[in-house]
Amino acid sequence: MIKYHPNINTLTEYASGSLDTAAAIAVSAHMHFCHQCRKQTQDLQLLGGTMLDNNIAVADIDSSVLHSLMQKIDAVDTKVETKVQPAGHKQVTDASLAGLPPVVAKMIGNRNKLKWKRLTKSLQIAPLTTGQSRAEVSLHKISAGGKVMQHDHRGQEYTLILKGSFSDESGVYQPGDFLLKQPGDIHSPYAAANRDCICLTVVEAPVRFTSLLGKLLNPFLRLSPA
Amino acid sequence: MAKLLREQSSEVSKTDSSHFNKVIGEIKPAGEQRLQNTAKRTDSWSLDLVAIGARQDREAFARFFQHFAPLIKGYFLNHQGMMMSSTQADELVQEVMLKVWTKASKYKPEKSAASTWVFTMARNTRIDMLRRQSRHNTEVLETEDIWATEEEESPVARLQMQREQKLVREAMVDLPPEQAQIVQIIYLQGKTHTVAAEELNLPLGTVKSRLRLALAKMKIQITQSADEADLLT
Repeated sequence: MIKYHPNINTLTEYASGSLDTAAAIAVSAHMHFCHQCRKQTQDLQLLGGTMLDNNIAVADIDSSVLHSLMQKIDAVDTKVETKVQPAGHKQVTDASLAGLPPVVAKMIGNRNKLKWKRLTKSLQIAPLTTGQSRAEVSLHKISAGGKVMQHDHRGQEYTLILKGSFSDESGVYQPGDFLLKQPGDIHSPYAAANRDCICLTVVEAPVRFTSLLGKLLNPFLRLSPA
Repeated sequence: MAKLLREQSSEVSKTDSSHFNKVIGEIKPAGEQRLQNTAKRTDSWSLDLVAIGARQDREAFARFFQHFAPLIKGYFLNHQGMMMSSTQADELVQEVMLKVWTKASKYKPEKSAASTWVFTMARNTRIDMLRRQSRHNTEVLETEDIWATEEEESPVARLQMQREQKLVREAMVDLPPEQAQIVQIIYLQGKTHTVAAEELNLPLGTVKSRLRLALAKMKIQITQSADEADLLT
């Protein structure tokens, strides 16, 4: 049961198309797990369609535009697409990553192999390639029973639980749960004892460890979007 | 500001629809009348889409184009951060309508209204263009990889969808101006809440709550998330 969702304003920005790409990746991945948010997004898109259909700012369009479009269509002999899944949604062969949202599977597919980088004893990070440069998108793995040092957030951080679960001071998070940490939020997450927790993380600025030992690590947490 | 927006828009609509009638040679009523017409014809747009998908029906496509192309063009020209010429907008309209032509066979009338479907095509084309402008590599992850909603399976979907559409359309007309304005800015001008708040010189929380109120009136807001506290930010 998913308990943590993107808020309605975030979903609206997603549906209306203004949400930042990296954040939209996290929202899109959440919807793979969440029937409720899929439904809500469809409603928000229905509103979009209604707004478009009643757009009073219609613009004059010359009939030559349709004419030249039909010529293009004839020239390339555009075949009407058949009902197949869009290419690019490659199946992830790694069984441990089965059942992931298509957008996450595709990002992993882009990498061929995930390059896990150990940050602390219980935290590993694997960067993902997204083609944008505003935020860092990566997978975080907290080892079973492991604890991540207390840290705060300098930019917004979106987290989506993909596998396993983790807890912090404010709750327990399961696959599909969507968290948004604001600048200044401090927490120290720890994974459930029986299995690793894997999350999709979108960070606009690197997190900052607040403990003394952690502070030594801060210089290594440079933002490196890819 | 709201008043100004509406005045400008209605002026645009008057001139444009008369131009439009001259060019296309078909009568398209503007404003209120247009609204009623669309409501009546909702189903026929779906039928046209199905005909395009099933047998590449060119007549249906031409009808579809004449109705939606001016709306889509208005949508592109209206967007913030995309200063473009009329010709550029025409090209984008062609891009969207080409997608309509090639993807029509995937359209499921029981899942979404034709206007919703076209909206998502236009929106994705706009996102695509903005991503290219900000030098994103759009091949690594295509816009459709991120802005693709997996569809709901539901036997009563069609009826329910039509009912919701009607409800949204009716409630939209009755929205208080300050709420209607936010919905307009967010959807048609493609602005984030933050940008809308800055431009209207309103606190971010006010903009967010106006949108929420509007959605609640249209019965769209069904859930409350855990972080309602962000209204205060």
